[in-house]
Amino acid sequence: MQYQMNEFLFSMILTELEDAVGKENCSTRAIDKVTHSVDYYWLSRMWADRGCLMPEADIIVCPKDATEVSKVLKIANYYKLPVTTWGAGGGTQGGAIPVCGGILLDTKRMNQIYEVNTEGMYIECGTGAIYKHIEWAANEVGKATMHYPSSLTCSTVGGFLAHRGIGVCSTKYGKIDDMVLQMEVVLPNGDIINTSSAPKHAAGPDLNQIFIGSEGTLGVITKAQIRIFDQPEDRRFRGFLFQDMHGAFRAARELLQKFKPSVMRLYDEAETATLIKKIVGVERKGAFMNVAYEGVKEMVDVEEKILLDTFRKYGAEDMGSEYGEKWWDEKITFFYPGHMMDIPQMFGTMDTIAPYDKIEEIYWAMKEAIETNFPQAKFIAHFSHWYEWGAMVYDRFIIDGKDVPKDPVEALRLHQAVWTCGVRTALAHGGVVNDHHGVGIKLGRLMKEQYGPAMQVFEGLKKTLDPNGIMNPFKLGL
Amino acid sequence: MVMSDKAKQHVDSCRFCWMCHHICPIGNATGHERSTARARALGISLVNRNTIPLEEIMDNIYECATCGGCVHVCVTGWDPVMFTKETRLHAALEGKLPSYIQTLLDNCLETGNAYGKTALCDGLTAAIKKHEKKTDTLLFLGVDARYMACEQAKKAIEVLESAGVDFTTLADEPASGAQLDFLIGAANETKEQMTAAAKVLDTFKTVVVYDPNDAKALKQLYKEYGVELSCAVVTYTTYVAKLLKDGKLQPKNTGKTVVFQDPFQLSRDLGEIEEPREIIENYAVLGEMLLNRDETIWAGNILMAQYLPEVIDEVARRRLFNAESIGATTMVTASVSEYWALKHVKQDKIEVLSIEDLVLG
Repeated sequence: MQYQMNEFLFSMILTELEDAVGKENCSTRAIDKVTHSVDYYWLSRMWADRGCLMPEADIIVCPKDATEVSKVLKIANYYKLPVTTWGAGGGTQGGAIPVCGGILLDTKRMNQIYEVNTEGMYIECGTGAIYKHIEWAANEVGKATMHYPSSLTCSTVGGFLAHRGIGVCSTKYGKIDDMVLQMEVVLPNGDIINTSSAPKHAAGPDLNQIFIGSEGTLGVITKAQIRIFDQPEDRRFRGFLFQDMHGAFRAARELLQKFKPSVMRLYDEAETATLIKKIVGVERKGAFMNVAYEGVKEMVDVEEKILLDTFRKYGAEDMGSEYGEKWWDEKITFFYPGHMMDIPQMFGTMDTIAPYDKIEEIYWAMKEAIETNFPQAKFIAHFSHWYEWGAMVYDRFIIDGKDVPKDPVEALRLHQAVWTCGVRTALAHGGVVNDHHGVGIKLGRLMKEQYGPAMQVFEGLKKTLDPNGIMNPFKLGL
Repeated sequence: MVMSDKAKQHVDSCRFCWMCHHICPIGNATGHERSTARARALGISLVNRNTIPLEEIMDNIYECATCGGCVHVCVTGWDPVMFTKETRLHAALEGKLPSYIQTLLDNCLETGNAYGKTALCDGLTAAIKKHEKKTDTLLFLGVDARYMACEQAKKAIEVLESAGVDFTTLADEPASGAQLDFLIGAANETKEQMTAAAKVLDTFKTVVVYDPNDAKALKQLYKEYGVELSCAVVTYTTYVAKLLKDGKLQPKNTGKTVVFQDPFQLSRDLGEIEEPREIIENYAVLGEMLLNRDETIWAGNILMAQYLPEVIDEVARRRLFNAESIGATTMVTASVSEYWALKHVKQDKIEVLSIEDLVLG
């Protein structure tokens, strides 16, 4: 907590929180504190692996709705206690770690599916719902959310909104910020607000987009209307092998001017030779690209012809549908222990995004920067979310366990150094701090480097909405 | 912590993996982060690193239903149930069980059932006595049916009677060891209880096992424990399905459209998926919930309701909601324990029936 708390006052506050959310949903137990102190952030995992305790919250609260969240935030504001919001803990940026102690607000009791509205084509749900659960709800009425990230089964609706998540079908269906209609948000002072009833309007700036990506620093998103789509009549896959990535970029850019595939994933030569070989079975030199196109069958027929004609022009070898289908089946397998990098390795995903005139340069600059400054690191990448104007790069560094310092502080220093090097290189070449994992505590220090004086807009919002600075302190560079 | 190398490897893989977060019926019911496989693994790993004491995680270790949903969805094959059960055994050996678990354990050791019951309910004693004569076939009712759901036990007997089966039921039926396996895993006491049961069961040619939890123990766990069984073990649903096929039970159209709640012990552990459906289709139109067959979601049980009553109520309520979501009005289950949990939910939207209810009309 921000000030030394005596037992008497602590007990008083605890009873107030118990009154707000129910005694059974308010915990000071060690197991709850530990569980909420380690998320998917590599540093928190490493810290625990070394037998060290991460910073813990003093009290865990699990409210069931906006009214209870409001009560919690009013209490927190009165006593000036930090509040860190936790979805399912699947974040990679340490955004949910209660680094200042205080209250940890776990949203998962807000997992109600209030309405599956097939006329308005949305599901209204609590933001504590695991996204897979709303996908199931959509499937039950023959629809789909089309938001399929690798963390589909282990992240909440609120987690995706708070960190601006993205799924593998984003090129056609959009990012999470395209998937949401109206939201209910509890402001730090406890007021409950609703954003506009439709996401496209001219009634001033878009309130949704102020809170999406705010990582719990400006309030708590408690309810959301998430878009659903008709299941595609037809979904086809095609694998291609490009001799180099340059040709792939040109081909992809041209394709995107013609139609939007759902899945587009281009793997650099290093990742083609490792992960793609292991999971999908492609044992060829080059850059593998998987494309899926879907929708009404007649349209898919046309799209297939356009795809093949376009890619042929750039020398792509058509590998048929087999590898693409295999990739689709295994799209989440990549992230299971045994397939994914894991401790004792050090690793990280430094995803960034830029227009086509910069993205390839960013890739090569980051690769060189990492491999030159950290020769112990491997660098692999893929490009998985594409637009008419550009693409994101999902570049990763991997350091073998034998090269990772055993001392946790030394390991932390190395991790920070690699990240700073990688992200600064991206920024220097026209990229951004992050594409779809968020900022958290991991990258907060680099936000001012990206935004410069524009950062005062965020700081102004923060100061106005959260004058006591209780909401998720030290995240997002705020 | 004393734990096999294999279990330690699984702990260290699961402690930082969130991929099964969506599937845990307990986690989904409580909304608590600790009620997940990764949280249990993290806790155990920190105990193994002497960072937190064992006592701090034991409540959480007993929040696991051991339903294997997490094991089923793990594409790598990690097994949170295995390390959860090994931790229970370790805690038992160290004398660090939570008091409410110790009570259930003491009951199991003293009376053969975790509820500490010694007398059967009214009516069941008489129903059992009618079949005390030794035959080749034993109907093994199990402790949940005998002591906590005797109406269902009586119906299970009645179904076989209506098919003209010559069978035996035991007034002093031995415990299968399934409850001990849940409470303390592979302890000597568990194996001793299983061995004692095997001795009795092996005096029959065929043992028809009413409770899927016992069926899993007899057909799967006994082998793992090295307990030999020479009798043929048949699940109740397989047996009833055969009675229907053989024309010993008469199909009847109830006019109902129902969904089936697959007990995980049958569908996931024993691979028995079609037999209950074959029974149902003789009496009703069968629909399916989204998560069915080996993807089933556990709907609660009697044993865990002894120490987590509100959580089990919510687990069952959520499963009923799955049925409601697809417009179903009747759910049929083949597990006496799930039947008990589902029936205890105060609701009026979904009618809950057992297989016996359906057959007897």
